[in-house]
Amino acid sequence: MADTVQLEAVSKVYGKGQGAVAALREVSVAIPRCSFTAVMGPSGSGKSTFLHCAAGLDSPTSGTVRLGGTDLTRMNETKLTELRRQRIGFVFQAFNLIPSLTVLENITLPLRLSGTRTDKARLRDIVDRVGLTGRTDRRPAQLSGGQQQRVALARALATGPEVIFGDEPTGALDTMTAREVLNLLRETVDSLGQTVVMVTHDPVAASYADTVLYLADGRIVDETQDPTAEKVAERMTRLGAWK
Amino acid sequence: MRALLSFSLKTLRHRKAAFAGAFVSLFCAAALVSACGMLLETGLRGHVDPERYAGAPVVVAGDQYVHKTITKGNGKTKHKSKAISERAWIPESLTEEVAGVPGVRKAVAEVAFPVGTPDGEAAGHGWDSAVLTPFTLADGRAPRQAGEVVVDGGSALRTGDRLRALTPAGAAEYRVTGVTAQTVAGQDTLFFAPDEARRLAGRPGLVSAIGVFTAPGAEPDLAAALRGTRALAHTGADRGTAEFLDAEQARIKLISMGGALGGTSLIVAVLVVSGTFALSVQQRQREIALLRAVAATPRQLRRLLGGEALVIALAAGPAGAAAGFGVGFWLRSKFVELGTMPAHLPLVVSPFPAVAGLLATVLAAWAAARLAARRAARVRPVEAMGEAALPTARLPWPRLVAGAVATAGAVVLTLVLSGLSTEAAASPVTMLTALVWTIAVALLGPPLARAAAALAAIPLRASRVSGHLAAAGMRTGARRTAAVVTPLSLLIGLACTILFVPTTLGHAAEREAAAGTRADYVAGPRIPAGAAEALRGEPGVEAVTEVLHTEVRAGLTKLTARGVTAGKLARTTDLGVVSGSMAGFDAEAVAVSENAAGRLGVGVGDELALTLGDGTPAELTVAAVYSRGLGFGELTLAHDLVAGHVDDRLGTLLVAAPELTRAELAELLAGVPGAEVLDRAEAVAAEPENAAVNYVAMGLIIAFTAIAVVNTLAMSTADRVRELALLRLVGTTRRQVLRMLRLETLSALLLAGVLGTGIAYATLTAFAAGMTGTAVPHIPPAGYLALVAGVAALALAATALPGRVALRQHPAEAVAGRE
Repeated sequence: MADTVQLEAVSKVYGKGQGAVAALREVSVAIPRCSFTAVMGPSGSGKSTFLHCAAGLDSPTSGTVRLGGTDLTRMNETKLTELRRQRIGFVFQAFNLIPSLTVLENITLPLRLSGTRTDKARLRDIVDRVGLTGRTDRRPAQLSGGQQQRVALARALATGPEVIFGDEPTGALDTMTAREVLNLLRETVDSLGQTVVMVTHDPVAASYADTVLYLADGRIVDETQDPTAEKVAERMTRLGAWK
Repeated sequence: MRALLSFSLKTLRHRKAAFAGAFVSLFCAAALVSACGMLLETGLRGHVDPERYAGAPVVVAGDQYVHKTITKGNGKTKHKSKAISERAWIPESLTEEVAGVPGVRKAVAEVAFPVGTPDGEAAGHGWDSAVLTPFTLADGRAPRQAGEVVVDGGSALRTGDRLRALTPAGAAEYRVTGVTAQTVAGQDTLFFAPDEARRLAGRPGLVSAIGVFTAPGAEPDLAAALRGTRALAHTGADRGTAEFLDAEQARIKLISMGGALGGTSLIVAVLVVSGTFALSVQQRQREIALLRAVAATPRQLRRLLGGEALVIALAAGPAGAAAGFGVGFWLRSKFVELGTMPAHLPLVVSPFPAVAGLLATVLAAWAAARLAARRAARVRPVEAMGEAALPTARLPWPRLVAGAVATAGAVVLTLVLSGLSTEAAASPVTMLTALVWTIAVALLGPPLARAAAALAAIPLRASRVSGHLAAAGMRTGARRTAAVVTPLSLLIGLACTILFVPTTLGHAAEREAAAGTRADYVAGPRIPAGAAEALRGEPGVEAVTEVLHTEVRAGLTKLTARGVTAGKLARTTDLGVVSGSMAGFDAEAVAVSENAAGRLGVGVGDELALTLGDGTPAELTVAAVYSRGLGFGELTLAHDLVAGHVDDRLGTLLVAAPELTRAELAELLAGVPGAEVLDRAEAVAAEPENAAVNYVAMGLIIAFTAIAVVNTLAMSTADRVRELALLRLVGTTRRQVLRMLRLETLSALLLAGVLGTGIAYATLTAFAAGMTGTAVPHIPPAGYLALVAGVAALALAATALPGRVALRQHPAEAVAGRE
């Protein structure tokens, strides 16, 4: 199975000299295509930095990040933006949507800014799939938190990206709504063949993934295949996440 | 691009409130710039139609300009002309030469002189030149001898009435022999017998103009006849310029004022609008970060913000430009009221000022968006993630460099200003200095605000809840504080500068006049020489000095001058002579103020070539140099010399008569129509200062800045709905929240007060050093306190109102509500 995202010896150091903090230390990992990967770790373990570097939102201090063979670390900000909007989808914890645009306009925003024509049938399919049929003319403020995350997911899917990154996508949702969003993510992997990488601190969320990577002190310290919530929670306890 | 523009439009529609501020600022800028454009255009292209000379196809009159050809280093020459201050008279003998030119049917000479009547000032002429309008008799007959006069149709007098008039020759009574059928607008006209008119005008052999009547169809070439003289031929609408010299002077004033005012409002607009845009970018930080993360390149973001700015400018520009016409007409009416602009000079109305206003608005918005986009492009996409997106603490180095450059520029300008000793040069530089200082403050705002916040925190902590919160709010919101401080210090700095430049100058002049005035009384406004001479012989009158005011030029340099009678001058005036002597001062001599002597490079004994008010050259010897130039004019000339070269040879009298009361002196002058007597204190205080016009014009800029202050404060407070709601939820009372807001505003106000006052004080000190010689500006405490109180009231109201609105929403809902 080919790898979609490859990190090779990626380090990220914030600050300089005495005050320097290493958020990532020589992280090497390969995310295979059509997989659902969860990244877990205690606060300050480097989860967010990992996601930023892997998704081309931030550039690592050393090492290389590849997306389907393209080296992200050699690109300038404009090239990176173009790559992000064409080949990467994002679902953030909150504030995913532009308040002044309707649901449909939010979904098609990356397409419009890259000047790509929208495939109507495909768009309808995505809207149906995330369960937003009949709500595409609303504004974000008129939607519930779960519905807003569905819009974000639809936007992430609209460009047909190689990988979708989620940053605590269920962090601001209640249990029931979170489950719906996670099921949707799982479904995109299973039926659409999407690749999904999600940072989370919730063992239940992580249990939806194929693989769970554990980060501690900027290093990948372990991984679990076919996780259950119990296994993940137990592993996290040993990492000192919940004292 | 279309996607971006439609996105811009949607954002604007969604965030109406946030952009209302930018709209209002741009609207005001467009209105101000187009109004200034109207003044400027009137100055450049405006003309008055001839009235008095409407009947003569060609008018020959003196050249109202001094000319100088400057040879530059590279061999090129540049011709410069400057207007003279009085009418240039021409030889009467030209009349015959002009009459001899083929095609000329008739040439009529005219003399013009001011006549004081019980109804006010009128223009006196000889009846022989009545045809130039033409004036015809509706009743009675033409004046034939000395005691007769014809009044115009607008007069209440009728044939046979008596008129007591004050002519340059003195006061006399005239019998009305006729009334004309016509009047000319804005001016009463009196006609005397031709010889009497020439006697009253008091300039033998000279006339003020020659009207030329041509044979039908002929266009005579007068060039040959006028060669070698200082006379010029005017035809068509151009005749108006020969007739209305005040209109010419007003035009020159309008050009400089329109330019200065327009330029100032443009700089203020860019400052204000860029502040508003920067604040809006800061408030939309998360949205921008999201856009950057999922879709928009830095370039697209810049275009997006540019698109927003363009849409606002295109909405605000035309509306503002249209309103500018109204402002232009209002300014004109004020200027006419204040006497800066003659009523018969109409405003030129054309689309150009509106177009200029629109362009300036678009340009200001574009520049502001460009500056704001620099900040937006620095928003990192990762800020879209995670709740705690802190604004970058450090100022980017290009801004620091720009701030340093602006500070250096301001220092240089301040030094330059302290060396400028003419009002014409110092006035625009004064405004520019204050503005550049403000730009420096705007650029270096955040670190200044942080430093000030640290200082302000010490007293604020004394109040345990509100003060503590305010201190914390100011520290973390240094950028927000800076955004508020910039327009506030602009307002305080500009207002102080505008208000206290005239007081500084006026105070210095008053001080010098008070120190140098020895006379007990001043009589005016128009006292004839005969009355002065008679007064000298009265018992109790020790000395009488006749004074005339005029403006002369040395080369192209304009100088204020006073003509004084030299006898017993020391009893009425102490010029503060520092070298030379006023003894034996005569029509060949000139006394020069230190300031002017320095500028002209002359000292006692040197020759000084001047062009007198009416364009007549004079070679004079410097007899003395004196210190009180502000109080008594830059040059002092002999009264006899000046009297022959001014439009109105009647001036004021300085009277040394310690034994007499004011009433007794007034009694002695009872024969002079309209004469008034002021005592020394009144006379010194009554020194007229033409500040009102500046106050009106610059007042508009102050109002504009005040609007910007209200905008910024309201925007800044309205953005904090969630923060304020959170404070309420954790148990802060409404009263405490409002008090916190008030304390924050007061702290910002304090900082802005210090900065604004500092800016104004530095500028005014430099101005005072250059203009008055002592580096002490005169700032009346009452005026200053009123100004600061006014700004404070405005700022507090602009914080309290949106604060109350923000608190009206239920706190739980406000916190939950996303954006």
